[in-house]
Amino acid sequence: METLHKFFYFRLALSNVRRNKLTYLPYLIATAVMSGVFLLIAGLLFSDSLTNTPSGRTATMMFGFGLVVYALFTFAFMLYINNFLIKRRKREFGLYGILGLDKRNIGRVLLWENLFVMGGGLACGVVIALVFGRLLFLALIQLIHAVPGSSFSLAPVAYALLFGLFFVIFFVTSVANLVRVHTANPIVLLSSEKRGEKDKKGLLPLAVLGLVLLGGAYYFAWTIDIPGLALGVFFPLAIVVILATYLLFLCGSIVVLRLLRLKKSLYYKPDHFVTISGMFHRMRQNARGLATICILSTMLVVTVSGTLSLYLGREEMTRSMYPFDAQVYVPDDATEEQIVAYDAALQSLAAENNVTLSADKSKLITELPEGEEYRRNNFVWTDSAFVGVPTLIFFDGSFRFDIAGTEADCVSFIQAIRDHYASSFSETPNLIVSDFYTAREEGYGFYGGLLFLGAFFAILFLAVAVLILYFKQITEGYEDKERFSILQQVGMDDRQVRHTINRQVLWVFFLPLGATALHMVFASRIMARMLRSFMLYDWSLVLCCIGGTLLVFAFLYFGIYRLTSRTYYRIVKR
Amino acid sequence: MALLQVKGLGKIYNTKLGMRQCVALRNVGFEVIEGEFVAIMGASGSGKTTLLNILASLDKPTSGDVLLDGVSFSSIPDRGLSEFRRRHLGFVFQDFNLLDTFSLKDNILLPLVLMQTPVSEMEARLMPIARQLGITQLLNKYPYEVSGGEKQRAAIARAVITDPRILLADEPTGALDSKASASLLSQFSDLHALGKTILMVTHSAMAASYASRVLFISDGSLFSQLYRGDETNRAFFERIVSNLSILGGGDIA
Repeated sequence: METLHKFFYFRLALSNVRRNKLTYLPYLIATAVMSGVFLLIAGLLFSDSLTNTPSGRTATMMFGFGLVVYALFTFAFMLYINNFLIKRRKREFGLYGILGLDKRNIGRVLLWENLFVMGGGLACGVVIALVFGRLLFLALIQLIHAVPGSSFSLAPVAYALLFGLFFVIFFVTSVANLVRVHTANPIVLLSSEKRGEKDKKGLLPLAVLGLVLLGGAYYFAWTIDIPGLALGVFFPLAIVVILATYLLFLCGSIVVLRLLRLKKSLYYKPDHFVTISGMFHRMRQNARGLATICILSTMLVVTVSGTLSLYLGREEMTRSMYPFDAQVYVPDDATEEQIVAYDAALQSLAAENNVTLSADKSKLITELPEGEEYRRNNFVWTDSAFVGVPTLIFFDGSFRFDIAGTEADCVSFIQAIRDHYASSFSETPNLIVSDFYTAREEGYGFYGGLLFLGAFFAILFLAVAVLILYFKQITEGYEDKERFSILQQVGMDDRQVRHTINRQVLWVFFLPLGATALHMVFASRIMARMLRSFMLYDWSLVLCCIGGTLLVFAFLYFGIYRLTSRTYYRIVKR
Repeated sequence: MALLQVKGLGKIYNTKLGMRQCVALRNVGFEVIEGEFVAIMGASGSGKTTLLNILASLDKPTSGDVLLDGVSFSSIPDRGLSEFRRRHLGFVFQDFNLLDTFSLKDNILLPLVLMQTPVSEMEARLMPIARQLGITQLLNKYPYEVSGGEKQRAAIARAVITDPRILLADEPTGALDSKASASLLSQFSDLHALGKTILMVTHSAMAASYASRVLFISDGSLFSQLYRGDETNRAFFERIVSNLSILGGGDIA
């Protein structure tokens, strides 16, 4: 008997998944994408061949941090999607209850369903990671200028982390589903879907609050001038914007539609009549989903354009952090003889390595105040003249110079002066010689890794946004199907119906995109300021990156729109 | 000339596999005179809904034709059908078919809005109808906030606000309790008394007893018809029931 029962739940769950494939398939695909990307990040993090190169090490560090944040996002999104789906099935659970399945039984079916979908998603995710892992590894090596080491393979640790994460997600979602089923009674469950909402009161103050918050956030974002402050203020501002976005989508939209409805000459026109009331109904149900899509899109554009700006601007940033090709710090207790000797050593090492050294004082950011002088041992340096100063020493007691020669020669020269340092000064060198070339290599690792992570996060945000859009289209499709068949019976012709559907779909779709673009206009300013604290001063580069990313995203979004609205039309037309 | 002429209607459905054919209507013909209240009775599966769908121009017959005011349905191009429906026909459905996205008022105004009627005229037309149907207080409520009977009255208001030539009702009492049904049917009687032409499809003898003439349909063919004459509802009801017992179908309630 018991075995039969088990079999029964299993079968029921399997047929549920199959029957609901319109919703479960995208869920499975999203799980696959999220787990696949997670596995890839983890795989890159624990890849031996990557940790062996200097730029690889920096990138690995980034991935470690990225993996944690990614895991948190994945966790939150999976919970959100699960919640979204389970809410839609309340009616079905109510029906089961009436048919005589008790809550424990329903819970069991749900557990199986969850297991199928998540297990399937994980399996697909592993396949994705295996297929694309090598390709991505090669791309990453290209991006961060690492020397290709041994072949790429996914470390067992990566798998362990993936299964650990998804076990936690599976556990939490299952518990959440069980709690949801247990706390509701069948009658409530059955009637919950059809219940219409009443006109809520008190939306106007909330809408105004949203407007004020958004305006304030925009104002700050636009006017903040100090790069350091911009960096500190960006995340609090982002949270305010998120809050304001939700308020405006949830309350502001209703207030605006209500105003439109009050304007009778506008409202009672065939085109507007159905659209406005349809939007009204829709915003009450889907405003949160739309706001989430808008925020995900904004996060995506910010992440990609930010990391892209850093990657493309890395040369410039490194240059402004290292105005000279190399800099050698002289210990405080160094004698005059030691300094002169090292100066001479530098010159001879340069000759050995076929490079020439030069120094341009004007590159120094700090200028000596008029009429003052700087003393170091017996060297005196004034604004206008050097007295007894070795060829390349400058200002604050360090050698700074540019190197001319082939890149390979420059790099080996720097290695040589590093090696020579210890014999010149009694101290062991510790971050004593810093140079542009090493920094640039590290920059490749850091910013390349960052860009890579940015792309991974973009995939995550996009996957979730697409999923929400898709679910919305499906559920709205079924609702609208009924509405439009009634409209046709009342005498709306096919052409009008199609026109109205197009209008509504367009609005619902492009509202989040428009809001994203608006957010980005204001974000561009504060982002450019913020990137200044990374020494990225190239405004136009940042603007180009933001514009470009937004454009590409808009195209992508449009593609998604075409795909998902096709499903919608198919449902409505049937 | 009769307002509605139905001539030799036949409707054959092809089943999904395409092998078997299902005859829903067989040479159905009758006429409805202006100001008549006609009920069409039949058991479920007798073809009465198919008939109504054809009369509503929502479906096309396989053979035969329908003429309203001498205008043949088959002569109207497809794209003109919606407008024709909007201008000349009013509908009341079993499950009300009100839109949840509109208040009752907007539901009622919907056909007028589609006809691009000026706002002032819409409101002038709305008030007397709402008063007559007793839903003045409910106009700003949404369909999910009112009872079934109230919904159906709003649906009637929506059907008659365009002043259609004929009001078509498909089992209008099907989703109502007996009290709401009685009140709805007396609304129909009132409309009839005002000179409206009504054609109602029903399987309820009680509903049919409010009509001035009852047509019986069975297996896709017209079977017989009864005229009320000067009878009371009660007497007419008795006659309908006894006729039904010959037919072997239909409900008493």
